[in-house]
Amino acid sequence: MCQTSTHRHSIFCILPPYILHSIAQNGAPQQRTQALRTLGSDHTFRNMRVTHDLMTAVGRRLPAAAPAVEGQPQRTTCNAHNTTNLPGDTVRTEGAGPTGDPVVDEAYDGLGDTYNFYWQAYQRNSIDDQGLPLSATVHFDQNYNNAFWNGERMVFGDGDGDLFNRFTISVDVIGHELTHGVTGDEAKLVYLNQPGALNESISDVFGSLVKQFALKQTADQADWLIGAGLFTAKVHGVALRSMKEPGTAYDDPVLGKDPQPATMQNYVQTIDDNGGVHINSGIPNHAFALAAIQIGGNAWEKAGRIWYETLRDPRLRPTASFPTFARLTVANADRLYGHSSPERQAVRDAWHEVGITVS
Amino acid sequence: MRIQLKMEGGIAYFPGLSKPITIDSDELPKQESDELKRLVNATHFFDLPTVIGSPPRGAADYRQYTITIEDDGKQHTVRLTDPIEDPNLQALLTYLKTRRSASG
Repeated sequence: MCQTSTHRHSIFCILPPYILHSIAQNGAPQQRTQALRTLGSDHTFRNMRVTHDLMTAVGRRLPAAAPAVEGQPQRTTCNAHNTTNLPGDTVRTEGAGPTGDPVVDEAYDGLGDTYNFYWQAYQRNSIDDQGLPLSATVHFDQNYNNAFWNGERMVFGDGDGDLFNRFTISVDVIGHELTHGVTGDEAKLVYLNQPGALNESISDVFGSLVKQFALKQTADQADWLIGAGLFTAKVHGVALRSMKEPGTAYDDPVLGKDPQPATMQNYVQTIDDNGGVHINSGIPNHAFALAAIQIGGNAWEKAGRIWYETLRDPRLRPTASFPTFARLTVANADRLYGHSSPERQAVRDAWHEVGITVS
Repeated sequence: MRIQLKMEGGIAYFPGLSKPITIDSDELPKQESDELKRLVNATHFFDLPTVIGSPPRGAADYRQYTITIEDDGKQHTVRLTDPIEDPNLQALLTYLKTRRSASG
């Protein structure tokens, strides 16, 4: 919506409508044309967003205290020195050079890759689209085999060196964690059962796209793995999850076998893992990979755009089920590319293949 | 004294790491059994609330631990969420996680 036929005018992406109206009335001829174009294409969607925002205004995060420069990340990486004290000592801030600690520098670079992906692919200015500074803490706890999003920052363990390497090693894991922040800002999907699995899947989708975007890979070239490189050589497995072939990422004597289903037929009913949020996410992950491969080209451009617009769609409620999400992706493909478009058909076919039929 | 630990959550679900482990102090060498009892006593486990810490709003991929201890006819269960701030509970959990690795 921020593109014109000849040039991208990013300033028009962030201006509120009343300023655009003022430019449309009082600006120079070229400015007026651009403002009118933006208003025209943006009006309906903005109204939907404003209504949604008013409904969910309570509890929204306040904007960043210091206004960030549009298109520039504001990164801070902290070191917990193998304790559980958060946030830890600040060891690298925006613009500072490498520290020599690969964990600190991977986290810093991964934050930058994620910011650049969201900005360049979707003109989203950070997690909250208002330039929120990005914060990470590394060296959390001792031998800690996890990375998590605490609602404000990403936290990475070093791994135990026995089964797991450092958790900053995969840029898609960094993209995954930050995308939890994006989901928290947009659809606020409840972290339980199907909405929780959608929340997880959205983090995998955009985490994988962060990696594909950084490597400039097409859907055909991508490995569609989450967390490749995280396992040590001792583990029988390639990654935490496979979006293209859920259930095949690992089969190991200690970790067990990858429990992800690829289709609704094998949906797992469980009270573990918040109702299987990391298990059943395999189904929407699979649908996304199938749609992106069918559409072809760079996955972030069309399939990613459809999923991104769905994440921002006010009709996506915090308690959304898989079928509701599927229906909204098809509706957004229809809106973006047309009712008879191959993109809409690919999305519909992908959901059908995983066992969800959108009429 | 019998202690059960169940770990849940994290960035992925690993079936092999999600099974509860149980440790019976009577089955440990005396020195290790004494160390375990010391770790448990330091936490004042039977006086702890049943839930310690909860995921902040919007948090994801956090890890949770459920510890159940039976001793002298008493039983108590505590559910913890990362990050764990109490150093005594941290020490107990580190011990239990190490036991898991050794038995894994």
